[in-house]
Amino acid sequence: VGNLDDSNPSSSALHGVNEFITEAYFENHASLIDSDFQGFISKEIPPEFCEVLQDKLEPVPKLSISHRHLIGEGSHRRLSSSIRLEIQPGSKFTLPAHFCDAILVERLPSGVFADPFELQHLLQRGVFTGAAVFGDTNLELPSVRSNRSIVEIHMDIGPNILSGNNNGLEINLEVPLHARYAPLGENGFSRIEFSPPDLFTRCSFEGNSHKQSCIFLSTNTSFELKAGAVVWDVPCGIKKHTGIVSVVTFFSAIVSALLIVFTAFHYSDTTGCKNLKQM
Amino acid sequence: MATISFRSLMLFSAVLRLFLIIYGEWQDTHMEVRYTDVDYLVFSDAASLMALGKSPYERSTYRYSPLIAFLLIPNALIHRTWGKILFSVSDLLVGYFIRTILKLRGVPENLCTYSVMAWLLNPFTFTIGTRGNCEPIVCAMVLWIIICLMNGNLLHAAFWYGLIVHLRIYPIIYAFPIILTLDQSHFQSGKKPILTDWISSKIQSTNGSGSIKVTDPCHIWVSLKSMFTRGRILFGLISAAVFFFCTGFFFYLYAWEFLHEALLYHLTRTDPRHNFSIYFYHIYLHYEHEFALSEKLISFLPQVMVQLVLIWRFAQDLPFCFFLQTLAFVAFNKVITAQYFVWFFCLLPLVLPWTNMKLKWEGWACILFWIGAQSHWLMWGYLLEFNGKHVFMQLWMASLLFLAANTYVMVTFILRHTSSPVFKQLEHGHSNISTKID
Repeated sequence: VGNLDDSNPSSSALHGVNEFITEAYFENHASLIDSDFQGFISKEIPPEFCEVLQDKLEPVPKLSISHRHLIGEGSHRRLSSSIRLEIQPGSKFTLPAHFCDAILVERLPSGVFADPFELQHLLQRGVFTGAAVFGDTNLELPSVRSNRSIVEIHMDIGPNILSGNNNGLEINLEVPLHARYAPLGENGFSRIEFSPPDLFTRCSFEGNSHKQSCIFLSTNTSFELKAGAVVWDVPCGIKKHTGIVSVVTFFSAIVSALLIVFTAFHYSDTTGCKNLKQM
Repeated sequence: MATISFRSLMLFSAVLRLFLIIYGEWQDTHMEVRYTDVDYLVFSDAASLMALGKSPYERSTYRYSPLIAFLLIPNALIHRTWGKILFSVSDLLVGYFIRTILKLRGVPENLCTYSVMAWLLNPFTFTIGTRGNCEPIVCAMVLWIIICLMNGNLLHAAFWYGLIVHLRIYPIIYAFPIILTLDQSHFQSGKKPILTDWISSKIQSTNGSGSIKVTDPCHIWVSLKSMFTRGRILFGLISAAVFFFCTGFFFYLYAWEFLHEALLYHLTRTDPRHNFSIYFYHIYLHYEHEFALSEKLISFLPQVMVQLVLIWRFAQDLPFCFFLQTLAFVAFNKVITAQYFVWFFCLLPLVLPWTNMKLKWEGWACILFWIGAQSHWLMWGYLLEFNGKHVFMQLWMASLLFLAANTYVMVTFILRHTSSPVFKQLEHGHSNISTKID
């Protein structure tokens, strides 16, 4: 588990009461399997259920992905998501000390990882209000030796809801990602596809005796229908290179070694008769 | 060329490093691309954990001795640039030690200064420390060990040698040449060793007394007995004791995590990701299945062969032997990163006064071939990593060219070197029953 709170006391102070949805999944599961995670979400977070807000007849802010793409080239890119926030026209939140987060849960495909320390740096710069990586956080292993991971990002949307002027708002969120060394292939590139993220809204407020929060799951059916999956083509080694690379590698090493050995054996002390270097 | 005083050179180098440290802080704050090395952040995080009484190995990718994190605890308590200042001071200390070693051997002042410039004004070296890499500390310790040996301080040399092998395993390759140098003809109890100075080294070479000695097969038993001298046994015991004490102490504190991250990882490291080594693509193409024992042994063969021959041929010329060994160790290693280059850059100034290589044009050929091959590799590496082009083959061929450049540099230095054993034979030394060969 790569919860930033554990490794950096200062980030804990930034969001000491933050709870990460994904953390509970990895307490009971060793690795990320999409069907298991979907089951976990449906069990732990029933959609649009919140007793307190229902009692107050508060409208539920709805999040959806309007646009999603990869920025950059090479092995280090940013997954950009535009999140649309929709509030019913004319509605207002009336609860005091209202605070809402948009929560983006990216189930990263095999072959891609997020650097917890990089996210920590963004956290310290105030880009996010919370960020954590769960699952396989090893930064160095290739795809064949690593497991999948989840990135959970929290963004503050509270002040925008309270303004009451907008019935729609877009938040742009960029998650820095890195490609692992891909499994060997035949044509030199390995294709990685990103599934749509899971989106949640969490609103926290002061209750009668303690702080309470509600989490709402948003659905993205419109985005899934409209756009194709985000894909990342990562260069990979070609299997048919194996033979020639191994032979030439060892041959080169042996030849270089023999050259040095030969030179050392035939090194003549009579070179000392020549003038020492004049500088 | 106008002469530069050593004092001015040191002052300028110190100011340059201070400027780069300050600039690095500015760049880290204002630009997306950091000046500071990622490793420095790892050190700092590990040091912060240590300051809180936790294990430095809670920081992932911290693969060093806890001593490094301990030295950087002031990063968390005073200021985050403490480590960079420490590394840069070590960097300057390397320059001072280079001059000390050359002066002990009577190298003229101007030649000393120019040799020191090869370290202090080398862009690789002044960026390494100021970016927060700890290698200057290791380099300073290697040179200090040479100084101790030259001054006859075997106990000090042994202590620092045990410590440096604990810190960075690679200096283990210096064990054999050091042991061979600790000959009774050079080191006797109560007598300071006599050093071969720069002027007389030419005379020694002409007489052939700098050539290697090979033991007559009829006297192998006597030679084997003579291997176990007091100096060699003391050096071996003390350095081993220091190494095992440090290792045992930190194992007691941090258990298997320390052993794995600080030692075993480096001994077994095979990285399929692109790096300067010729083996990277071979390792990547085979990563999905384990290497056979024969494959592992074959990959070690060139390295072992070169190391043994260099030791056998040049051990008496200790700085030159260290330089060649280190360059060969890096060139034939399964993983090569840029920080490894300072391991032999700190030894290069020690051999320059004894080379017949002229800057024009043999020197320039070595410099341009080496830098050119490296730049060529970096170009393909950039296309792969930052542009996502499929250039594995080209990158691998660039690494072959880089090996060729390293080989060229080594061969040129060997052919142009004036043999100069560091130590002269003492009077009433060990009886010489061996036969010299030319």
